[in-house]
Amino acid sequence: MNQGTDSDSQGRNPSAVAPVPVRFTGSGAEYFGIWIVNLLLTIVTIGIYSAWAKVRRLQYFYRHTELAGSSFDFHGSPIKILIGRVVALLMLIAYNYTVRIQSVWTLAVVGGIGLIMPWLLRNSLRFRLYNTSWRGVRFHFRGTVGRAYRVFLLYGILSVITLYIMAPFMHQRVKAFQHNNTWFGKTQCSFHAGAGQFYKIYLVLLAAIAAFAILAGFSGVFGLFIAATEAQKHGGRVNPYDTLKAVVMLYAITILVVVSIGPVFRALIANLIWSNTRVGEHRIECNMAPLGLIWITFSNLVLIVLTLGLFIPWASVRMAKFQLEAVRLVPAGDLQEFVDAEPDQTGAVGEEAASAFDFDISL
Amino acid sequence: MLTADYFDGRSTRVRVVRLEAAGEDLLITGEDIERRVPMAQVRVDERLGRAPRRLRFADEAFCVVSDLNALDALLSSTAHRDGWVDRIQRRARFVLLSMAVCVALAIATYQWGLPWAADIGAAHMPAGVGVQLSNQAVKVLDGGVLLTSRIDVDRQKALAAKFHALRLPEGGNAKAELLFRRSPQLGANAFTLPDGRIIVLDDLVTIIGDDRQILAVLAHEAGHGRGHHGVRMLLQSSIVGAFLAFYVGDISSLLALAPAALMQARYSRDFEEQADNYGAAVLRVNGMSPGLLAEALDKLSKSHKETAGAGYLSSHPATVQRMRHLRSL
Repeated sequence: MNQGTDSDSQGRNPSAVAPVPVRFTGSGAEYFGIWIVNLLLTIVTIGIYSAWAKVRRLQYFYRHTELAGSSFDFHGSPIKILIGRVVALLMLIAYNYTVRIQSVWTLAVVGGIGLIMPWLLRNSLRFRLYNTSWRGVRFHFRGTVGRAYRVFLLYGILSVITLYIMAPFMHQRVKAFQHNNTWFGKTQCSFHAGAGQFYKIYLVLLAAIAAFAILAGFSGVFGLFIAATEAQKHGGRVNPYDTLKAVVMLYAITILVVVSIGPVFRALIANLIWSNTRVGEHRIECNMAPLGLIWITFSNLVLIVLTLGLFIPWASVRMAKFQLEAVRLVPAGDLQEFVDAEPDQTGAVGEEAASAFDFDISL
Repeated sequence: MLTADYFDGRSTRVRVVRLEAAGEDLLITGEDIERRVPMAQVRVDERLGRAPRRLRFADEAFCVVSDLNALDALLSSTAHRDGWVDRIQRRARFVLLSMAVCVALAIATYQWGLPWAADIGAAHMPAGVGVQLSNQAVKVLDGGVLLTSRIDVDRQKALAAKFHALRLPEGGNAKAELLFRRSPQLGANAFTLPDGRIIVLDDLVTIIGDDRQILAVLAHEAGHGRGHHGVRMLLQSSIVGAFLAFYVGDISSLLALAPAALMQARYSRDFEEQADNYGAAVLRVNGMSPGLLAEALDKLSKSHKETAGAGYLSSHPATVQRMRHLRSL
């Protein structure tokens, strides 16, 4: 553990300001045991145990994530997660049912979910951050309900009616809302990326999708597909192998897009977001390699399919290690100086814990 | 002797301390700290992999221990016992057992649980839903895979009249509506919609030719309708699809399921056997031989070898076995 002592000295020495890397020490084999036992308990309790399994999963990942010699911790209560899951499931059922059986209720249910969502998202952020700690100091989310409605609902509607031209703008506002309102103890975090930087990455994404569409066009898949359907329309007998070939090629292209463009986009966005986030005066650097993420995503997908899902624990650990270890903290000074929120503010903290629903939205 | 990092729960300051068990108490000593806490008031984290474990005290303060084996040794001298889930999830024997049970449950669910649930679902499904699903399917298929029949309208009417004259074993006559269609892709085929209507394709009529043998195939299809096999298959593939969508994380693939399930659903062997037996019973009640269905299958199997495309038999496996079974009835 040479590097462990390295980061120790960096974290504990007040004069050291060299970047401190995040380390992830989990192992797939170890996590497999936890995963499979909790999966079985979840199955035999018809899903109820999944809340406890989720707490254990988060604790496994948080506690194996180490910064300056100390690990993170998750404190969430399984009961609150269970309540959150029941609420989410009820909304999902209501949504699916009413969308399929179109009636006057469809609009009411979809509208109702849209109206309640910003509040739920904000509460889930409070829950997730309040229950995350490092060295015994907890994170807090202090975004107001009003801002949540503005960011999620108003900008959401704006981005839809402008045919998603404003989607990168909304993405920037959501991240600014999240990170500017995050506190580590008494230290506030801040977000410094502008909407223009989000637009640049979305343009790269758009260009990549266009390139793939042109490539697919040249490979003749669409031609093959259209020819097959046209021939069918006019009653001609189509060679089933042509249809099959077109379908298989379309499928292959879709998978190619998912495992290449998706990871590149995710890596670029993560680098932008985290490299522009600060904890007080301390900067964060995120340097995730897009090619590396493509490789992890692709190999994970192949191995999960080949093992019919049994590779999932190894896949999760590999992904977490790759993503977390791309992050470094550049301290502006001593990491011992963080102090938890004032005792008189714990009233608000208690309320945070009480009214929270846990919905998983990416942090 | 066990060292740990001590945190007061209020600041990120790290204090290196030593932990010792002293009777019923835990002794914490280090840089400007000296605590003696009754072991009964210490909450000990689960052992999750190689993650450091925390010993938590009532006042939010805690110790982080990285030397897990030394901690186990210290804890074993106290009254603390790890929880049962904590213990089984790191024992190879239980992990392997859990894996075996999970795999067995997955197979059993697919094999029996799903058909059982689909059976109950189909029995409680309002009739209107089946009609709606069938109308939807016909709408999607017509003009795409299904084309207007070229069979003479009089012949269609005559076949329908003969089919509706068939008496059923449970009493009454066959009622299912026949929809005549032509499909170059599906070839000689017939299938039953969720509401019981039977789609009869031109090639099936022309290849079999003999009306009594065609009636035998229709009696078999009526068996699918009576057993709600269409709805059951649909429910099964929906559940499988929903599970896969959850697993893979793509809900939109659900939309493609209903037509796909109708078109490509290979009725399971159980469904075929049930439909064969029902078809045979119908034939006998009407003074006809179950062998007629076997002869129809024989003709289809011969034509199938010539065209080597999609056909009635590709969705109906083990034909030889079925013909033998039917002739023995």
